[in-house]
Amino acid sequence: MATPTNPTDAELDAYILLRFGMLGIDISVLPFNDPSAQVDQMSVLSGCRSTLRQSLQLLEYELDVQTHIAAYYASPQSAWTTPDEEDRKSLRERKLALGY
Amino acid sequence: MADSKVDRPDTPTPDPSYEPQDRGIDRRSFIVRLGAASAAVAALPPIVARVAHAAPNSGTPFADTVRPEARNDPTECSISEAATLIKSGALKPSTLIGAYLERIATWDADYYQAYNTVLAEQAIADAQRLDRTKYIGPLHGVGLAFKDNYYSAGVLTTANSFIFADFVPEYDCTAIARVKAAGGIMLGKLQMGPLAGGRPTTPDGVITTRNPWAPNNPEVTPSGSSGGSGCATAGRLATCTMGTQTGGSITGPGMSNGITALKPTHGRLSVYGIIPLTITRDHIGPLARDAKDAAIVAQVVGGPDLNDPRTIGLPPMPNLVEAATPVVKKGRVVPRWALRVGVPPGFTTGTTPNAVARVAMLNQLAAIGYEIVDVTLPDEFTLLNSGAFNVSSSERAEMDFKYLKQDVRLFGGRLTGWLPSIVQGGAEVAKGLRTRLLLLDRCMTQMFNQCDVIMQTGSNFDGIGLPLCTFAIGFAPNAQGITLPLATSVGGPPFSEESILSVIAAYQATTTFHFERPADPVVGVSAASRTRGTRITCRDVDLECRAAMEGTVLG
Repeated sequence: MATPTNPTDAELDAYILLRFGMLGIDISVLPFNDPSAQVDQMSVLSGCRSTLRQSLQLLEYELDVQTHIAAYYASPQSAWTTPDEEDRKSLRERKLALGY
Repeated sequence: MADSKVDRPDTPTPDPSYEPQDRGIDRRSFIVRLGAASAAVAALPPIVARVAHAAPNSGTPFADTVRPEARNDPTECSISEAATLIKSGALKPSTLIGAYLERIATWDADYYQAYNTVLAEQAIADAQRLDRTKYIGPLHGVGLAFKDNYYSAGVLTTANSFIFADFVPEYDCTAIARVKAAGGIMLGKLQMGPLAGGRPTTPDGVITTRNPWAPNNPEVTPSGSSGGSGCATAGRLATCTMGTQTGGSITGPGMSNGITALKPTHGRLSVYGIIPLTITRDHIGPLARDAKDAAIVAQVVGGPDLNDPRTIGLPPMPNLVEAATPVVKKGRVVPRWALRVGVPPGFTTGTTPNAVARVAMLNQLAAIGYEIVDVTLPDEFTLLNSGAFNVSSSERAEMDFKYLKQDVRLFGGRLTGWLPSIVQGGAEVAKGLRTRLLLLDRCMTQMFNQCDVIMQTGSNFDGIGLPLCTFAIGFAPNAQGITLPLATSVGGPPFSEESILSVIAAYQATTTFHFERPADPVVGVSAASRTRGTRITCRDVDLECRAAMEGTVLG
């Protein structure tokens, strides 16, 4: 199994700018490095590098694929998936039909 | 010594069969999904489906008594007090609206800067019409204002951004439409953090809205991004306001301005006609004077909306106004429901004014009769709430892709909230979405098994859509010697607004912090019209957004 690489800031910046270029996003219109500016290229790249470096932590986090489906709306889903009487009746009938 | 004695007549004994709605949400279904043994589930007693309309329809928007301050100055009125006076004929809508417009004209441009647009002529016309109309609803003649990302027909809706600088919607969002239908009058549109992030500024980052508790000091933040909403409610520039929250943007200003700000369960209130920040975390809610006012507005605005599928198929809106009406027995405020109030680790640690106020607040809740319980946080609670697991910024990048391609400068200081997700892979987004359900499962089975509601300071609940409500618990000077509100919030499981509001209402019935109002500005000191404000950068915005998430807004 390959060990994840630990790219430098410059390597990540090249990756980020390549991705922006592919999508048609141009950050060269921003000042390059001006902390007094509302936003500059350095702060954009810094944020992107941070997100990329968090990717491994997120992807390596393991959870059960059977019980944890993707939840766009977790709280509403808790109501949408609360079994009602019809569900319970259906489950009981299924058990009976299958002889459980 | 904390006490729950009040000078109020006893209230009718609540119907014992009336329980808060969240008790009907089946926590066992989470155990099922967690993969617990099916035999254990089968051994549980049969679940009785909650009757949808079990709550008695006895909640009214009216107040038992109207304070002398509110009788003398209509801008002092809560919604409840204003409704009581208007219904009885003691106050005309045009008088109430006129008082607000006068206050706005006197103070807003130079000091508070809470408004983006004041709809004076329209508001006066609406008020005069309602003067002559029979009482049409709980907000009859009451003046409200809305964050500037609420679509308002024919009125500029900018989100304080370059992108929407000229946007005039053709229709009202559901919230405004429902407020108007209940008799509410729109006073105007409110300042906000550009594109719903950070404290309110102009699109190019110049600070606008001030904290009404320090109206002569622009450095004191009203918090964001619903800072204009928080300022307008606390500064008596509207009876109540509405804001939006994706990451602490209602509860942050609620705490900084010392008001009762409700961020309901995701889906309770329609976000149709709100300029979206994300698809899955955007909420709307009232920033109010007290729990009952928050309940009145949520009741009017909430419930299913065919234009917003996220509101469909949920438990019906319960009687929040009833829940937010304190129960008095033999001259003492008592809990409407026997609830366990959870205290997370570190909540009362230290000797800061905040910690002292939190201890006093908990003692007060105990004196009322609530069970106060120390609770442990669910496994990996901090990790699962961390930035790495919050993948919702990909939603805004997807929605606003055409603007990113057009010119990244359109996003001003908020650009760093959009671009990082453009480099994120789809697998990360999928993993982030799956961890949401894990986090909710753990909250339900490892936190809400210990308590019914829990004290909170940040907005850890936004990603999974749990309800939160802020309230003031004291006042203390900051490092510069400026006296500011101390506040906290109460959260709960999905659809627990009744429980949350009932606790805050009981607390407010025995304390007076929610009646405190900030002093008017000192004329001539740091008037905005004479100075160009401080400009803030994306770094400041990022810091403020993080502070709101972590609950460190007040330091």
